[in-house]
Amino acid sequence: MRILIVEDDAEAGAAMARGLREAGSDVVHAPDGVEGLKVAEAGGFDVLVVDRMMPNMDGLTMVETLRRHGDQTPVLFLSALGEIEDRVTGLRAGGDDYLVKPYAFAELIARVEALSRRRETGAVATTLRVGDLEMDLIGRVVRRDGKEIDLQPREFQLLEFLMRHAGQSVTRTMLLEKVWEYHFDPQTNVIDVHISRLRSKIDKGFDRAMLQTVRGAGYRLEA
Amino acid sequence: MGLPATFRTNTFRLTLLILALFATAGAAFLGYVYFMTAGEISRLADMSITKEVATLDAIYQKGGAEAVRGAMIERTSIDQPFLYLLLDPSGRRIWGTIPDVPVGQSDERNIVWTHFKVAEARPDGSHETRPARGERQRLAGGEIMFVGADIGDTAAYVNKIVRAIWGGGVLVVLLGLGGGILISRNVSRSIGGLNAVIGAVKGGDMRARVALTGAGDEFEELGSGLNDMLDRLEHSIGSLRHAGDAIAHDLRSPLTRLRTRLEVAMLEVEAGKSDPQAALVQALEDADGVLRTFTAVLSISRLQAAGSAPDQVAFDPGQLAADVAELYEPVCEDQGLEFSSEIAGGLGVKANREFLSQALANLLDNAIKYTPAGGAVMLRVRKRSSGEVEFSVTDTGPGVPEDQRERVVQRFVRLENSRNRPGAGLGLPLVAAVAEAHGGRLELDEGPGKVGAMGPGLRVALVLPRVG
Repeated sequence: MRILIVEDDAEAGAAMARGLREAGSDVVHAPDGVEGLKVAEAGGFDVLVVDRMMPNMDGLTMVETLRRHGDQTPVLFLSALGEIEDRVTGLRAGGDDYLVKPYAFAELIARVEALSRRRETGAVATTLRVGDLEMDLIGRVVRRDGKEIDLQPREFQLLEFLMRHAGQSVTRTMLLEKVWEYHFDPQTNVIDVHISRLRSKIDKGFDRAMLQTVRGAGYRLEA
Repeated sequence: MGLPATFRTNTFRLTLLILALFATAGAAFLGYVYFMTAGEISRLADMSITKEVATLDAIYQKGGAEAVRGAMIERTSIDQPFLYLLLDPSGRRIWGTIPDVPVGQSDERNIVWTHFKVAEARPDGSHETRPARGERQRLAGGEIMFVGADIGDTAAYVNKIVRAIWGGGVLVVLLGLGGGILISRNVSRSIGGLNAVIGAVKGGDMRARVALTGAGDEFEELGSGLNDMLDRLEHSIGSLRHAGDAIAHDLRSPLTRLRTRLEVAMLEVEAGKSDPQAALVQALEDADGVLRTFTAVLSISRLQAAGSAPDQVAFDPGQLAADVAELYEPVCEDQGLEFSSEIAGGLGVKANREFLSQALANLLDNAIKYTPAGGAVMLRVRKRSSGEVEFSVTDTGPGVPEDQRERVVQRFVRLENSRNRPGAGLGLPLVAAVAEAHGGRLELDEGPGKVGAMGPGLRVALVLPRVG
């Protein structure tokens, strides 16, 4: 995976680059929006990680310019501005996801992975398939190994998100944001409970568990 | 600049402008008065002279120069106020009461008016020069006749009027200037008070206020408005400062804890008594705790400082509550708690969805955290008889003693029996801040009763005002 990091804080940028390289990605680091725009326009990136507040050209302007020029590379905004309206502004400017500083590195990696996959699933699928797990999006039926699994509407959404990001780590925050559309951090382990319910439905009675817990990050659905 | 402060005030300039207008109007008025009095007197004198000239001319028509001479002598003797002079065509004096014609004889015009002076003997023998005015007429036979009149008395009268007019004018200007200065001083003093307060506030004294005299005038109104504005500003700045202090204070203890733990872990790892990875995991968890605290404190502070939640929209809270219930129901069941919800439909609130969801989530988090297994948690949304919308979460936990209920809404207050549970004591304070930011309130009550040995439970209600 080829990632461009546009971040003016040299140390933070370097740490991020190191972490992402550790995770197996090819990383380029640009120190500001102007440079970032130049590098991004050269193309070839799977995901752009863009800080919002930077000298010379801020992240919003940079992404707006990119989008105006027809570049559709997925963008993850990083920002210390975490209010709802900041998020909305970021997404309106053409961002695909929004991560508020300070963040856990596992969260960053999970979101970058999720974004990189976005492109490949661009075609409108009516059926999702992960291993022997099959989801009929129109009939809203889920089967594993041909056996129908009865899911509540929210469990269906949860599984759909996990299947669309099969093989990738997804964090509790991502699930809370994408499935429930909440942007706060509950004190109790609500997501864990929902996951364990879903797990008992899709994994019970099968000798191999598909829904796995990723230590320190979240969960991953494996084929 | 050289001018005293008073003269540079806008009020003084305004006074000057009004004074100029007033002076112009006054000048026009006085001019009219002059025209109607002094001017009229001069005209009357002229008319009598013209009449006398006409009379003498008529006499000349009948009897020639000799008759005119006689008439002049006769008229002089009956104390006519006129001055006479008659010259023959060659310019020789025939008769007259003045030595010479005050206008040149060579002037070919028929009738010429002129001002001149006559010397008059006073009773004490001295001479007095008095203004006079006269008309020279060339008679048909070439003789020159001059009739004048001593207008000394009239002139004195006119002078008096002119002096009165000037005096009046000067008085108007002086009174205007004086009044202007007085008014300007007064206004300057009032504005000076306001400026002094503004200066003090600029200088950092947020406590400075305009002294109100109770006069009820516009300056009083301005001052009172300024005071109100300063009160609000002081309150806002106070809240922000308080928020800043609180964040600094609130983060100090968890950060200190984190630091201590890292230090101890390092010592233990060095001594070979501890696993470095475990220490790092613990440090990460601590850091996450600090960040959670920071986020919660920041949310509370922002809500409190803003005074009102952003992005409020009107909607039916039923679906929102049902969503939160759906999120928490499995958690309750997981913890061995019975969960139920009673959500009335067709209600309306105006709120920020995100904050309201978070508030309900916090209430359920709390209820789940403090209710032992076997208990029950209930979420209810209903309309009160007052029309307000109430979101309540009831549990069968130990409850909060009545005298502690106000305390638990304050930040970082954790009751003794909850010390061993996770959390920073920011759940309820955030709910309270959300309630207040929507013009509502948070109510804590005793729960419905005991379940077995548990209870009496807690009933927390977030009450929002009715919409529309």
